[in-house]
Amino acid sequence: MPSVTFEHVTKRFGDATVIEDFDLQVADGELLVLVGGSGSGKSTILRMLAGLETVTSGRIRIDDRDVTDLAPRDRDVAMVFQDYGLYPHMTVRDNLSLGLRLRKIPRHEIDRRVAWAAGMLGLEPLLDRKPKQLSGGQRQRVAMGRAMVREPKVFLFDEPLSNLDAGLRAQMRIEIGGLQRRLKTTTIYVTHDQVEAMTLGDRIVVLADGRIQQIGRPIDLYRAPINRFVAGFIGTPPMNFVEGTLRESIGQAVFITEGMSIGVPREKTLTANPTQSLTLGIRPEDLRVESSAAQSVDDGSSAGVLRGRVVLVERLGGTSHVHFDVAGGGSRMMASVSNDRLPSVGETIVVRVPPERVHLFGADGRAIGRTAEIV
Amino acid sequence: MRAEQKTASLMAGPYAAFLLVFAVYPIAFALVLVFLQWDLVTAPTFAGADNIRLLVHDGRFWSAVANTFVFLSIHVPLQIITALALALALNRQLVGRSFWRAAFFLPVVISGAVVAILWSNLYATDVGLINHLLVKIGLSPVPWLTDPRTAMPAIAVMVTWKNVGFYVIIYLAGLQYIPRSCQEAIEIEGASAWQRFRYLTLPSLLPQTILVVTLSTINGFQLFIEPYVMTGGGPLRRTYSVVLYLYNNAFAYQKMGYAATIGVALALIIGIVVFAQRRLIGKAEAL
Amino acid sequence: MKLLRRIALYAGLTVAAITFIYPFLWMASSTFKPPVEVGSLALIPHDFTLDNYRTMWARAPFGRALVNSTFVATTITLAVLVFGSMTAYAMARLNFRGRPALNAATIAVLMVPGQLTLIPLYTLIVQLGWVDTYAALIVPYLFNATAILMLRQFFLQIPQSLIDSARMDGMSEPRILFTIFWPLSKPVLSIVAIFTFMGAWNEVLWPLLVVREQNLMTLPQLLTVFALGGGAGSVGVSLASAMVLVVPVVAAYAFLQRNFIESMAGSGIKG
Repeated sequence: MPSVTFEHVTKRFGDATVIEDFDLQVADGELLVLVGGSGSGKSTILRMLAGLETVTSGRIRIDDRDVTDLAPRDRDVAMVFQDYGLYPHMTVRDNLSLGLRLRKIPRHEIDRRVAWAAGMLGLEPLLDRKPKQLSGGQRQRVAMGRAMVREPKVFLFDEPLSNLDAGLRAQMRIEIGGLQRRLKTTTIYVTHDQVEAMTLGDRIVVLADGRIQQIGRPIDLYRAPINRFVAGFIGTPPMNFVEGTLRESIGQAVFITEGMSIGVPREKTLTANPTQSLTLGIRPEDLRVESSAAQSVDDGSSAGVLRGRVVLVERLGGTSHVHFDVAGGGSRMMASVSNDRLPSVGETIVVRVPPERVHLFGADGRAIGRTAEIV
Repeated sequence: MRAEQKTASLMAGPYAAFLLVFAVYPIAFALVLVFLQWDLVTAPTFAGADNIRLLVHDGRFWSAVANTFVFLSIHVPLQIITALALALALNRQLVGRSFWRAAFFLPVVISGAVVAILWSNLYATDVGLINHLLVKIGLSPVPWLTDPRTAMPAIAVMVTWKNVGFYVIIYLAGLQYIPRSCQEAIEIEGASAWQRFRYLTLPSLLPQTILVVTLSTINGFQLFIEPYVMTGGGPLRRTYSVVLYLYNNAFAYQKMGYAATIGVALALIIGIVVFAQRRLIGKAEAL
Repeated sequence: MKLLRRIALYAGLTVAAITFIYPFLWMASSTFKPPVEVGSLALIPHDFTLDNYRTMWARAPFGRALVNSTFVATTITLAVLVFGSMTAYAMARLNFRGRPALNAATIAVLMVPGQLTLIPLYTLIVQLGWVDTYAALIVPYLFNATAILMLRQFFLQIPQSLIDSARMDGMSEPRILFTIFWPLSKPVLSIVAIFTFMGAWNEVLWPLLVVREQNLMTLPQLLTVFALGGGAGSVGVSLASAMVLVVPVVAAYAFLQRNFIESMAGSGIKG
């Protein structure tokens, strides 16, 4: 039985449509991540589920109960906010227990739950402090504790880590993941950070302009993005895109653009018309920088190989990003390269493009000929 | 959210109703009263433009307006100078800064009625403290409130004294906003204290000065309790204020229509004067 | 040179401070002086007497006026705080039809000089039959547009997530206002409280219009009528009656001086 269901949910603010015909089912115990840029509607979806925002049309169910018109307090959901929303004038203990007290939960039960959450989150020594006296990470934990003591059907997280510095963010990300696996409570997590989405989510929903772009396991979105937006959004560093056309050549499909021609497996081009203008995508980590010299390789225009002039090398320690201009063409690309043989700026390099790692997108942005082998 | 709509109307509805009854209705009814004759006892009668005609030719009304301008011509410049001087004095490292500030602010919190009664005694010709001091330093006493030439200026000085603390706070707030870097820059340029004041401080305080001019002008047009208590509008009606005239028409002569007409006219005059002041200051700034 | 200028500065400030404080000290001391001494500059009465207070108390109902003023000013202040913050909360944080209109009306009302509405308001009170009632002194002041705008401005800065959290915790909107917003709004609430109380306490023109019955008069009104009507008879008595009005305010001012100054400055932005 799905835990949360959205049916044809639409949200308009005045004339602006923020969410259009949104359908989603979240499984019981699942951690689902809604990811998208600002204005994608991800927070609106969460707030509609929480009851903080009305639904223009459509229904929302929690465990088969229609909650569309219920007040937030009657929905049995708890939420962790981006800026935590802790009551500044109350102690941590009061912050944790207020929702329970307002629901007339018996005293001993409140104490039990507060002790339980505080224990799990390491908040015991902080119970009598006020939010102002806590660090960012501690406030984050209190906000989570406040959601936990409610023992709700669904946890909602609205960009909970974006106010933390990078190190703390990584640590809290791990904690949230671990906590969710232990509690097994259905969780919907909103973020703009695709790394958070990839590492946390059982499934990810990629949103843009109030519409679902793709739903799937993190690895599926990475390997088989359904359109150019998802391809560019998921994965760091971002995918390279090159515009070009497709030709038949010696019985093989070849993607051609200035300075390169790349043979593409048959099955990837099934739905494409010849001479149609396309976009080729290739992830920086899938590019192979062969060497600095042209030595053994045929010539630059041979299939699957291109030459480039290095314009910038970003050294990151483990791997580095090599930015280069494709010879004979205008496109600039980037390759992730391990550090043992870094080219230098100005050098000409030969880059191999493995055909099986290539993504093709039509003029409408949709991926072409998704292959079984990749999914 | 329907619920939100409902809660909001419960929370803001009473205020909306209040505004209708105690703000919108009186404003509208003021414009109706202009065309009525009404003593509050018998039924109101339509008076056409009588009230307006009367007002245009009413020497008492216009002399009250003229008195107000006399008051403003002393009060506004004096208010700016004293407030600015005290603010500049306070805007430096001082021992007991908050004491000085509190001292200047004291009259602001005290009722105008009390201040008027107190100053009636200070200004009194025979036993007043001010004349007492004048005599001590060898001058002759001045009949402050009974000489038609000195009565209004005396009231203007008193009102300036009462309100100066308030405007000092406004100027002090403005002084806080002058960036340190500007002050240091002009000092490095080698400007004298006067030049620093003339070319940095004074122009920087323009928004505050506009505020002081506007507020003290509006305040001046509201002059009531001071002449009411101290002079009754005399001597020779020289301290008769517009609001005092309005009050007497309503309260003493029971002429509601005419009193309301005075109120509308006064509101118009305030609007025009404040607007003209802003234009003038804007022009002066452009020069 | 520098030292000389510093001395001049302090000397100037001292003279200025004396002109602001001395009149009040002189007033206070005069109330304890017999009539012959009142004209003197000295602050210590030669023949200390309480006669002025006895006379003042016997001739006019100042005790009653003190009760009236306290009741009226307190009621108005509480109303402005409670009703004002409810209105301001709705205007700042709730969506409802008519909100833009209400905002605009509030600002427009502040631009209209009080003299314009004085007479129509007075005739309204007469027609409601409220002359010589507390209602006439209180009801027209139950809401205050300046206070609502100040509170609204402050409420706009409180993070939305606090409201969201409170709603998820199950609070009603009034409850959010009074248990979450109020504790966070103490500075602005105290500013509003002080300027409202001060305004109501010192108001004299409006009571002069709507109250004629001596027992209903507020302090500044009774003081004015008493001084003008010659009821006082002597300077000492008239100043003694003024003291009843001044002492509570000065006492409060001594304790809350900083808040007083800020509240007056804050309310003055309106004009």
